[in-house]
Amino acid sequence: MTTTATQTATETATAAKPAEAKVLEIYHWWTSGGEKAAIDALVKVFNQKYPDVAVLQSPVAGGAGGPMRAVMKSLVLAGEAPDAFQMHAGYEGKPYFDAGNLDQISDLWTEQGFAAVIPKVVQDMVKFGGNYYSVPVNIHRVNVVWYNKAVLDASGIDPASLTIWDAFTAACDKLVAAGKAHPVSVGDSGKWTDTHVLEQIIAGEGIDFYEDWVNGKVTSATEPKLVHALETFKKYLGYVNPDHAALTWDQATAMVIKGDAAFNIMGDWANGEFLVAKKIYGKDYGTLATPGTAGMYGLCIDCFQHPKGVKHPQNSRNWLAVVGSKEGQDAFNPLKGSISVRTDADITKYGPYQVAAIADFKAAQYMYPSVTHGSGAPEAFATKLNDIMSAFVDNKDVSAAATALTDATKAASADYTTVWKLH
Amino acid sequence: MDLTKDKMNTLLVFLPSLILVGYFVYVSIGWNAVVSLSDWKGLRPSYNIVGVAQYVSLSHDPIFWISLENNLLLISLFVPGSLFLGLFLAILLNAKVRAESTFRTIYLLPFALSFVITAALWAWMYNPSIGVINSLFERTGLGFLKSGWTTDSSIAMYSIILALVWQFSGYTMLVFLAGIRSIPESQIMAARVDGASSLDLYKRIIIPQLKFPALAAFVVLMVFALKAFDFIFILTDGGPGYSTYVLPLMMYRETFSMTHFAYGAAIATLLFAVVMIVVVPYLYMSSRRAKE
Repeated sequence: MTTTATQTATETATAAKPAEAKVLEIYHWWTSGGEKAAIDALVKVFNQKYPDVAVLQSPVAGGAGGPMRAVMKSLVLAGEAPDAFQMHAGYEGKPYFDAGNLDQISDLWTEQGFAAVIPKVVQDMVKFGGNYYSVPVNIHRVNVVWYNKAVLDASGIDPASLTIWDAFTAACDKLVAAGKAHPVSVGDSGKWTDTHVLEQIIAGEGIDFYEDWVNGKVTSATEPKLVHALETFKKYLGYVNPDHAALTWDQATAMVIKGDAAFNIMGDWANGEFLVAKKIYGKDYGTLATPGTAGMYGLCIDCFQHPKGVKHPQNSRNWLAVVGSKEGQDAFNPLKGSISVRTDADITKYGPYQVAAIADFKAAQYMYPSVTHGSGAPEAFATKLNDIMSAFVDNKDVSAAATALTDATKAASADYTTVWKLH
Repeated sequence: MDLTKDKMNTLLVFLPSLILVGYFVYVSIGWNAVVSLSDWKGLRPSYNIVGVAQYVSLSHDPIFWISLENNLLLISLFVPGSLFLGLFLAILLNAKVRAESTFRTIYLLPFALSFVITAALWAWMYNPSIGVINSLFERTGLGFLKSGWTTDSSIAMYSIILALVWQFSGYTMLVFLAGIRSIPESQIMAARVDGASSLDLYKRIIIPQLKFPALAAFVVLMVFALKAFDFIFILTDGGPGYSTYVLPLMMYRETFSMTHFAYGAAIATLLFAVVMIVVVPYLYMSSRRAKE
């Protein structure tokens, strides 16, 4: 009798929920040089804390994550979400949140004390309906003009004076006169680089206009600030290399590195390209805020989240804690070229550009979420915007672009559920 | 019904593939048609039937018409282009050249390459400033032939068609070569005896008998022209602007980037209908021929 009872008791104990496998599967699109080194460093920090968990990285290559996002939607729909996947903070997570595919992690935020060290605008970008849903891993700045110092010095142009678009175009005219036919490089075979430039020009029209734009309030095709922004873009295009549609964003950056062009507008992931070419910040190249956006920090933020019903929930949670921790941030960001989301970052670990960026970040008057990089506006709008901007760069038709843009805003009006407060 | 053992065995052998094809192909097509009648948007499936609302919005969407136009352009230029180039190459190879199998392999090779690879290669070749094509024109004094190729929205679609004709001409060449070789030698000898020149030979005897291989190749090319996605996605992603947008690309964009599943399903169902319009008459004709 007793033996059978003990037997049944042991059987019940062993039949209890099996411990989750010691595996963590993560998806991301960091496949090139510096990005890969960065994610590997973050994984290393995780493995130092949890040495017996095997981290399975599943990178899906492709600029700005388009292909990975398509793969991810299929996986999530099939109920096969990985333990965590790279995502841009903000609207990019909205389809998953709406479909109930994400677990809220407010308790993790409280436990790890993230709210005390992460700025408010960043926090707003990872919240839906008042709860936290993801942990940001980095902050990239989008409103950056990269310039080749030698080319500017040769024409006596002081980059610090280029604070408004008129000054910028005057400098370009000077460079054209000095023999540089195309002082600005653009590589828009991926289409998104055109939207990237547009959003910095829109931010340059004023933070209140940008706020209206990302809140879906710019619905008139004759809105003067919108038309002015497109006219500015049209003028900008007059200085751009004619083969831009055949180049990728990094090929355009390479033109500045080599001195074939003077200026390029790109997020600060471009810094990695300069480092690989062994250029020195302040000596060979420099940066300035895109005209009109001094004191503003345009945010492109990657984050990881906790999908619902994942196979390894505890490992996923531990991963998120490491992602948001000081050591995780300070291992990842120096290699990635971005800056830590935490205000308590260890500055000594970062390179010269990033030290300047961290200083700008701390002193920033306004911060704004990027639309190009999945944060500021609904994905349906941002996707359409890429095509609209590519068409505009091709035909330079301001009124057609304004109409298409505002039509797309109105068509997606039901999707504008976040109300951004930027100032 | 007289279920002999033979018939039972035949049925059993076909059953697994019937079930798999039935489910993964026909049931999926049907399910897709149902989704196109719903209002599914976002990652949570919704099967509220809203009738033909998606098709109506499709007809008002200028991008749909641009994509359809590009697909029709593809059909009207790519299909005849591949057929004629393939026929020309087959006639050349039929002339009993010395290294025939080598040439055959060379012409067939592009077709064996993945579209992703050839798209990447053509992207490099078409680069207006450092690409092979423009550089070659420059060096040989044909500088006036230089152009923006896929970066010029007015000729981007034609550049794509050119690259696709290059890739498919090997396949059509093979089909025509097999067709030419299957013509009885006796007919050709008889024609020669009667004093027919090579031109007459081809015009009156060989080409008329290539009707059925041509039709087979035609259907394959037509279906491809409607389905072409990966090549265009890699080479231009529908750009510059909307100039190289095609229906499969629009479907992919709407479904996976914008999560408009019902809208994408409507595009897919329309595409399927157009493909059926092409394929069904061919199937009917070839089954009639088999019965003769």
